Formats: sequence, structure tokens, C-alpha cells
Amino acid sequence: MRFSLSELMLLAAGITVAAPLVGTVVLGMGLFRSSPRIPAVVSAVVSLVSSAVLTILWNIGPLIPVEIGDSMGGGSLVDIDGVTGLLLPYVALVHLAIVLVAPRRFFDIASARRILIGSGMTLALFCTAHPLAIVGLWILTAVPTWFSIRAMPGGRPVARVYCIAMFPAVVCMTLGTCMLVGDPPWEPGSGTIGNVGGWLVAMAVLVRKGIVPFHSWYPALFSAAPMSTALAATMPQVAAYTAMRLLVGHADGVGWELIVLSQAALITAAYGAALATVQKDVKGLVGTLAMSQSAMVLAGLSGTVAMELNGALCVWISSGVSLTGLGLVAWAIESRAGSLSIESLQGRFRDAPLLAAFFLLFGLAIIGVPGTLSFVADDLIVSGCLDDQLHAGLFVIAATVLSGIAVLRGWFHVFGGPVAIDGPSHGILLRERVAMLGLLAVLLFFGLFPGRLVHSLEQAANSLMNESASSEGHLDFHVPAIP
Amino acid sequence: MSMQDGIYYLVVCQLAAPAMTFALIGLPALLGRPLSEQATTRVVGAGFTSGFMAALATLVTLGLQGFPSQVVHLGTWFSVGHHAATIDLVADGLSVPYVCFSTGLCALVNAFAGKYLHREPGFTRFFLLLTLFGTGMNLMVLAGSIDVLFAGWEFLGLSSALLIGFFHERSNAVNASLRAYTTYRICDIGLLTAGVVVHAAVGSGDFGKLFSGTWPNAHCLVSTNVAVGVSILLVFAAMGKSAQVPFSGWLARAMEGPTPSSAIFYGALSIHAGAYVLLRCESLLDQAPAVQWAMVVIGSVTALHASVVGRVQTDLKSMLAYASMMQSGIIFVEIGLGWRVIPLVHVVSHAILRSLQILRSPSALHDRHELEAALGGHPGSEAWSPRHLLSERSQVWLYRLALERGYQDVSMVRLIVLPVRRLFEFAARGEERLIMWLGRDPTDSSRGGPK
Repeated sequence: MRFSLSELMLLAAGITVAAPLVGTVVLGMGLFRSSPRIPAVVSAVVSLVSSAVLTILWNIGPLIPVEIGDSMGGGSLVDIDGVTGLLLPYVALVHLAIVLVAPRRFFDIASARRILIGSGMTLALFCTAHPLAIVGLWILTAVPTWFSIRAMPGGRPVARVYCIAMFPAVVCMTLGTCMLVGDPPWEPGSGTIGNVGGWLVAMAVLVRKGIVPFHSWYPALFSAAPMSTALAATMPQVAAYTAMRLLVGHADGVGWELIVLSQAALITAAYGAALATVQKDVKGLVGTLAMSQSAMVLAGLSGTVAMELNGALCVWISSGVSLTGLGLVAWAIESRAGSLSIESLQGRFRDAPLLAAFFLLFGLAIIGVPGTLSFVADDLIVSGCLDDQLHAGLFVIAATVLSGIAVLRGWFHVFGGPVAIDGPSHGILLRERVAMLGLLAVLLFFGLFPGRLVHSLEQAANSLMNESASSEGHLDFHVPAIP
Repeated sequence: MSMQDGIYYLVVCQLAAPAMTFALIGLPALLGRPLSEQATTRVVGAGFTSGFMAALATLVTLGLQGFPSQVVHLGTWFSVGHHAATIDLVADGLSVPYVCFSTGLCALVNAFAGKYLHREPGFTRFFLLLTLFGTGMNLMVLAGSIDVLFAGWEFLGLSSALLIGFFHERSNAVNASLRAYTTYRICDIGLLTAGVVVHAAVGSGDFGKLFSGTWPNAHCLVSTNVAVGVSILLVFAAMGKSAQVPFSGWLARAMEGPTPSSAIFYGALSIHAGAYVLLRCESLLDQAPAVQWAMVVIGSVTALHASVVGRVQTDLKSMLAYASMMQSGIIFVEIGLGWRVIPLVHVVSHAILRSLQILRSPSALHDRHELEAALGGHPGSEAWSPRHLLSERSQVWLYRLALERGYQDVSMVRLIVLPVRRLFEFAARGEERLIMWLGRDPTDSSRGGPK
């Protein structure tokens, strides 16, 4: 039996999505009751390997998207293209790192199932471009997060805040998408309802991405929820994916929404970094840095040239991997030493020197130190900004400078100071080391040799723009200049 | 093999030697199997020595040719559309002598530190940061574009801050490190923005598009407005690294780090990084006379400040820090006056002398005893000083001003740091209150909100 390349890619995508769901079923059957990490890790590894296979198949193939199922608003039910090829391995890697590092007391069967369900749904979302499927999966990916926050002792207030933020976002997303699909603004002779729909989708994206002024739930999630929940909910950047599929490329019709998103995201990037410099604990630091960095993705996605889109995709991966690393290191330390304040010196270096090294390296990767992928990403996004919005470069610089101060302050305050003698030595576990070295290897390898990745990003960005534009009969991508 | 090929390999060696050393020490440490002390110092020594030999060979080769400017194209790091990140290095009369003396100093400090830090818990960390510094320094000095220069500049700042906080158990060291890094980052805005302006103006960060010709007689290729703008930004960036007033407060505190790193960073190389960048872009400064005069003023004020404050310091390393600051200020004045070779000679000679003084500082008491024993008593009466011209009242006032470091740090903290910090804290408190208000249970009025 011979399979075509498209069929193999479909098979790989199917395995990528199904693996975490199978893991959930296995856990639901009561197997591995005493060690839920085993099926979780196995399913995450299978998912990562199959997504990597998909990426390889995409890159060796003719670069023609695989589209199956009902096509609506320019997107098919199953849509595998350059973006999918890039983002699926990234999401799978983040989930694998989470299940590897999650401390034992936070990884019972219920939480393992929630992580795997969330993982499956997110991976499925990244395989579709169908507007209604995106809406459905958008809602489904939000739900496990809410359950997870509620399950935490004292988590109900933040669950309420999360609910207050997500409910209008879901409503805006649903209504907006229906209006966009019902009256596409990019088709001649129509567009009023569709334009309103575009604004509603943009509003939903603003909320789900934690963009100013709808950002407050974002750092609160990191403070109240387990790190696994916070990272799994934010690092895949579901809202950015939605914006990319529903708004980017339809710029002739909804350009101003993109501009508003872009400007709000730039402000958020700088504001989040400013907040990070005065945080009181490590979780707050990770939360505000995540808010700042994820906003930078949207700032690039909402840009008007391929270079910015390219930079955004690069920031998406680099900031996601480095923030996942930083969050997991912080979680590993807190699981041993309890909640860590960064208002004063905690003196944890002697206890956990390797964790200190990883904390510093991931922190430096976030702020774009040369040699890491983030440096490439920042270069791309600033170079993209130069083409049409110079001030964006200055916002990115402000965010980078402030993030740097926040990271070093956090590192010195956690690890510096008189040596703490109140606990056992905090050595690093093998599974933690494997996860962190894996994440770091990705950041350093693609930071030192970014050529192949950047080429793939370029193909993904171009294909996204061309696909979206050609499907509506608009080959030229153009957005009105910012006044 | 042609001369150009030879220069290419020699320049690559200057950059690759410390970089590979960094990887050779860093990877085993990250895997939890750090090299032994002896192996570490040998690997680092081999790295810096080979870098030095390569720089020396380049110096001789270029010197025989009359120091032409040789651009070494290492390749294209990545490219997207019309944007290509190329790695271009420049070997000329400015960069090669500088690499020569910087790698030479690093090699000497490595030999000293191997003994000085024997059995120190952070032994590997020190050498890791030293090689990171060496890599960054060579990258910055050899840079043929503002992007590459920034990469090296970042490594310098980072390794400097981490070495100031080397003894992380001490609160003072940590605070000094954060202070230095914050100053660096704020001044980095200048270099980053200069990069953005250069890219926007000429479409690339290559120095070849900013100026042409051989150092020190390069000609500016951009408009006066761009040259003035970039010059202002570069001077701002240089003020942070070179500890010019009002960004000089971090330097004396930076002596919290180990003596070998203090010698090489704040006596020799790091403190002159700003001067080097300004010398590299001298043709832009020539287009901005107002900026040059501003440099003369800044340098003079810094030299005067350091001279006065340095006289009341009670420990040797602080005195040496202020002495470094004073020389750095004078070098700023020299560059501002449009001189080129004199500041370079001044940088090299000052760096060598100051490194020696700082490295000898732990033995100062021993030296003093030896001197007194040789002289058979106290070295003699106090030398004449200009302060004798002042009235006693003025001397007291000046003494107090010097003790308070010219009120510079206090003013910076009160006028800039605290207001900005309070603003950020106000925003953070607002966020917390908003979350508490949103998260309150509407059915439970007795609680008044989430705890």
C-alpha cells in the first residue's frame, strides 16, 4: 500500500492530535493510576514526533497546502500548510516539557487529563482554518483552564476573573465569526456586517491575548493557577492563531482592526515589561513577561508586511519556548522551596545551581540576547517595523530593555543573597533536566543557525498572505498607512 | 594563499578561539560535569593565547601594508526578502591593535585568576563569564556593522553585570550588579535606537554604508541630520559603559566583583568600550560639532568629579575605580576634540597600567610594608595638592561633597529612578486592586473580596 505525501501529512497530523486524546482515554480507564506521567509523556512524545514528521514532509514536499472538508470563509476543516508545519511541533514541544517537569503533587490523574485534553484541542485548532471549527475549538480550549483554576485552593476569585474575561470574548468571537463568514467584507458590494464582525473578532483576540486594556486576567492566571495550566493556556497563543486565520490576509477589508490590534499590542509589550520590573514574586514576573512577549507576537502579526509576519512567527516560537522554560524552572524551584518572593534576596543559588543556570539562560533568551532565537526574532520584527511603522521599533526596544532589567532583578533576587539553610539541597531531576535541555537546545540551535527556520517562516508567511488574498481575489496585500 | 585569505582565517580565529572556549567550558558545566580547575584555566589560556597570536599576526601583516581596511565577510546569518543579516568584520588600524591588547590582557588575567580563585565555588562560572566577555569584546571590536557591534556590546554588559554579582551571597554585590546592569540597559537604548535609525536611513547596518575610507581618515556617507542623530545616540550609549557623569554611579560599586574581573573590566576593557565605539564612528562625530563639544563638557565634568570624589575614598579599589573614571573622562574629551590616535594610545596605556594596579591591589598593604622597610621608615610628608589653595571652610565643603559623591547618585535616584519606579508600582497596585474587585464573590458581602 502506497501513500501519497498529502496522505502521509494527514496521517501525521491525525496522530499528533489523537495521541494526547488517547492518553486521556487511557487515564480515564483507570490504567496507570499510580503513575499518570507515563501515558502523558508517551502521548506527548508521540505527538511531538509525528508533528516533526509532518514538518519534514511539508518541507520536502511541493509546499501545497492539504485542505479537506467544508471550506468556509477561505478556510478548510483540515488545513495543513506552512503555518501548521511550524506551529504543531512547537505546541507539542511545549506540552511535552510541561508534562515532564510538572511536580508530582500537581500531576494527579485529573490534572494530567486536563492537560492532555487541552493539548489535543489546541493541536486540533492548529490543524484547521475553518471559521466555525476555530470558534468551537477556541471555546473548548478555554474550558479546561477554567476548571483547573477552580480546582486550586483559593483559585475561585481568579476563575471568576477568567470567566469575566472569557465569556464576552467567546460571545464576540462567535458573533464576529458568523458575521464575517455571512457577509465577507473582502467581497465586492458587501461588508458592513462583515466589518462589524471583523471588529468583534479583533475584540475577542484582544481579550484572549491579554492586550491592554483587557489584560488583567493574564498575569492573574499565572499567579493563581498551576504553572502547567497557565503555560498550556497561553503559550500556544490560540488567539494569535485565530487572528492569523481570520484577519491577516483579509486586510483590504479589515485593515483598521489590524492596526488597532497592532498599536494596542505594542503598548502592552512595553507596559507588561514595565510591570515585570516591580513584581513581588516569581509567578508575577513570569506572568507579566509572558503578557509582554505574547503581545509582541500580535504586534508583528498585525503588521502590514511579510517581514513583520515572519518576525511575529519567530517571536511566537522563541518567546513561547523561552517563557515555557522560565516558567517551568520557576515552578520547579517553587515546588521545592515554596512561593518565592522577589522583593528581597532569597539566596537559592547554592541549593539549586543548575536551576539557577537554566533560569538565567531562559531569561536571557526571552530578552533577545545574541545567540538565542529571540535575538533573530527581535531583529526580524524590528526590521519589519522599519518598512512601515518606525515607532513600533521603539516600543520593541523599550519592552526589551525593561524585560532585561526585570529578568536580571528576578534572577538575582531569587538566587542572590545570604545562603538559605532552611531546606534540603534542591538538585535537578533527570526529567526536568531533559525537558530544560531540550527547550534550551531549540533556542540555541535555531539562534545560532537560524537560516532553515527563517526560510520556513518566510514560506509560511508568504503562503498565508497569498492564500488568504487569492482566495478572496485580492493578490495585493495592502493596509492603509497609519496616519 | 593570498593575503586576504590569510587575514580572513586570522580574523576568524580571533573570534572563534574565545567563543569555542566558552562552549568547551559551558557545555560540561550545563550537563553537571564541569571541567577541573586546571583543565579550565588551560582551555581558557589556550583560547586567549591563540586569539592573541592570531591578532598579532594580523597586526604585523596589516602593518606591513600600511594598515588598509580589510572587510571579512563571514557569511549571511539569515535572510528574508530584502533583509539580510550578514556577519561582516573589519580588520584595520583601530580594530586589530585593540583585539591584540584585549586578548593579551585576557590571557594574562586568566593566568592570574587561576591562582587567585583557586577553590572558589564559582571558579567555572568566573571563567565562563571571562570567555563570554572575551568573545563579546572581540565581536564588538571587529564588528563591521552596527548589528554585530550590538551583539558584542550585549555580551560585554551581561558578563560585566554577572561578574559584579559574582559573590552573590553578599547583598552589596547583588545590588551593585543590578545597578550596573540597569545603567547599561538604559544606555543600551541609545545603541539600539542608533541601529534602528541607521537601518531606516541606509537600509542596512553596515559601516561601509555609513562611512568609507581607512580609519582614522574615514569620510561620512550619510546626511548631516542622520550623522548628528546617530552621534547623539552613540554618545548616550557610550556614557553608560564608560561611566560618564551622570551615569557613573555604578563604577565604584562594581568593584564588589573579584579582583581579576575588576582589573579587566573596569580598569582596562569594558570601561573603554564606549570610547572604542565613538572612535569607530569618528567620521559621524566630525559631522556633529555640537555633539563633540558636548562630549568635551561631559568628559571634563566626569574627570573633575572623579578626581574630587576619588580623593576621599577609603579603600584602594574604589580609589582606582575613580582614577579609571577620570582617565575615561579625559579620553572622552580627547575624542570630542577630534583627536584620533591620541585617545587610542591613551586607552591602551591606561588600560595596561590600571589593570596592573588593580591586580596588585590585594597586595597593597604588603607592598607598603616592603616600601617602608626599604626606605627605613615612612615614605615622607604628604605631597602638595591644589586643595591647599582653598580656605578651610571650602575644603570642608568640598570634602563633604566628595564624600557624598557629588550628590550625583542621590539626585539620580530621587529625580528619575524613584518617580519611574513609583509609577510602575502604582500601575501594578492598580492591577492587583482590579483583580480583587473583579474576583470578589457578589453573593458574599462579608468577605469584601478575594484574599
